[in-house]
Amino acid sequence: MKTSTHRKLALLAGAVVTALFAGCASSGVKNPSGVPVTEMKADERGFVAGTGIESQDLVTVTDKMARSILGIPEITQAKTTPRVVLEPIMNETRFPINKDIFLTRIRTQLNQKAAGKVRFLARENMRALEREQQLKQDGLVTASQDPNVVQFKGADYFLTGKLQGMSARTSQGLSDYILYSFQLIDAATSEIVWEDSAEIKKQGLEDAAYR
Amino acid sequence: MFRILPPLFAAFFLVTLAGCYTAPRPVVPYTGDPVVDGNANLAVAPEQDKALWEYRIAAAALRRGQTAEATAKLDDALARTAGALAPGAQAAKSRKLFGREETKPFAGEPYERIMGNYYRGLIYWRDGEPDNARALFRSGQFIDSDTENKTYSGDWVLLDYLDGLATRKLAGDGSDALARARASAQAQSRPVPPDYDAKANVLVFAEYGPGPLKYASGEYGELLKFTVDKSPVAFARLTVDGRTLELPPYDDVSWQATTRGGRVMDHILGNKAVFKQRSETVGDVALVGALGTAAYGTGKDSQNLAIGLAAVGLVSKIMSAATQTQADVRSWNNLPRYLSFGALRLAPGEHAAVLTFHNPAGRVLANRTQNFVISVPAPDVTTADADVLGDIVVIRSDLDN
Repeated sequence: MKTSTHRKLALLAGAVVTALFAGCASSGVKNPSGVPVTEMKADERGFVAGTGIESQDLVTVTDKMARSILGIPEITQAKTTPRVVLEPIMNETRFPINKDIFLTRIRTQLNQKAAGKVRFLARENMRALEREQQLKQDGLVTASQDPNVVQFKGADYFLTGKLQGMSARTSQGLSDYILYSFQLIDAATSEIVWEDSAEIKKQGLEDAAYR
Repeated sequence: MFRILPPLFAAFFLVTLAGCYTAPRPVVPYTGDPVVDGNANLAVAPEQDKALWEYRIAAAALRRGQTAEATAKLDDALARTAGALAPGAQAAKSRKLFGREETKPFAGEPYERIMGNYYRGLIYWRDGEPDNARALFRSGQFIDSDTENKTYSGDWVLLDYLDGLATRKLAGDGSDALARARASAQAQSRPVPPDYDAKANVLVFAEYGPGPLKYASGEYGELLKFTVDKSPVAFARLTVDGRTLELPPYDDVSWQATTRGGRVMDHILGNKAVFKQRSETVGDVALVGALGTAAYGTGKDSQNLAIGLAAVGLVSKIMSAATQTQADVRSWNNLPRYLSFGALRLAPGEHAAVLTFHNPAGRVLANRTQNFVISVPAPDVTTADADVLGDIVVIRSDLDN
């Protein structure tokens, strides 16, 4: 009898302790030392991902655009190297973006792969360039060419783009579609000599704890 | 045998009273400066509360003109919020029977997330990026699109109005957004925003009245509710260069907080509350049974029954005590109640401005009047972009800085 009672008591104590620890589960800490830094490729979908615009989208879209531009006759068959000015892209999505980053990547891709078939004009540096020219004209610094002759090139084309989006949300989650379209516009005629686009759609599910 | 029961009951009461030990939060010295105090709290806050503190600091910093601080905090808080919303272990834990809702990373209720987007949008606009501002206003309206009652879905007046104004300024149309803003205003019996003036170069964003705060209601604190204090300010008025700009309450943040309907989490907490109640009842019945059996029972079977009932009772009571039903009441506690906006054209130069706040009877609340200067820079004629000078964004709040 005594042994049986002791066994029951032990079981009871065990149950109490188990329940007690279960109740205190919130005191546990996941990843107490943090998550180690993981280096990833820019075109890789990481474990931290949302339905917004991410690096893999940037890489996919700009690679496609750079390849597409390189195939058009206005570039490949131009008698003189076409000069291109980047115009800020228009963001019509629900995601704020660094608007320069798409065009910067297209420009670097083209500069790397076009082998001089296209040149970009550094209009964002005009103020510094003008100041330098003024210094040369004033004779304060040396000049390898006549500083009074305008050397700044005019644009043959403008490269610009637009990001447009559609979003949907239900109790099941949310969905974001983004259309990335880019254009090359003839500066003299306003003709759109090239246009291409890329589409990316993502869906996600929010945790029920936040719905 | 009956000697076993008193120690068992004692153990039970100890467990109940002791609860679950949590380490005390470090004491943060109070300076009275909300940005300094906020940053001190942020430094010691648990990971799940970081975004909450960042939102609070951002609002205070924005009101004081510390835009860089507000930007950094909002960017981080919005990124944390986006990360928190994805399915994750912490959020899953908060849904479990013994997990507290407030252990999930703070993302805020939709109205709080929307305000984060709204404030960041104002900064983008101030920085000459109205399309990115518009993106955040659209995100805000999108967040509000899943209300239980679709009547209140995506009905923030200013988010649509500013969406359209940004579109108009970017050479678009914007009339659809204006129509939506006006429809929402009429549905809420609020002032109807005026036509756009695409050439207005000064955009005034005003806010006044205390915003909503959360509290837990229900027998087990399982219901999330809001306290909405009456605002002493009913509208504001800006006087500059002898002209008057009315700043009526286009949006009521408290209205937005209280018209979303039930949350999925409310059902989860409701189920937890039912479990808590039932396990408590089972525990009570079992413990009374154990006491009765122990007092009046004779023989070995009675002893065993008493032990069994006591065990069931204790486990049930402990399970009940450990069940976490409290709704998450962490609040972005320095939000305003009313949001207003006005646009005007001002020539380059310094303009003395007086912002007055008025009670519902229209009387000026003199101790709240703000005098300040609006500086409109002259266009830089040396640049090619002289004709596309950005807007001057003025953000004024009746709330304490």
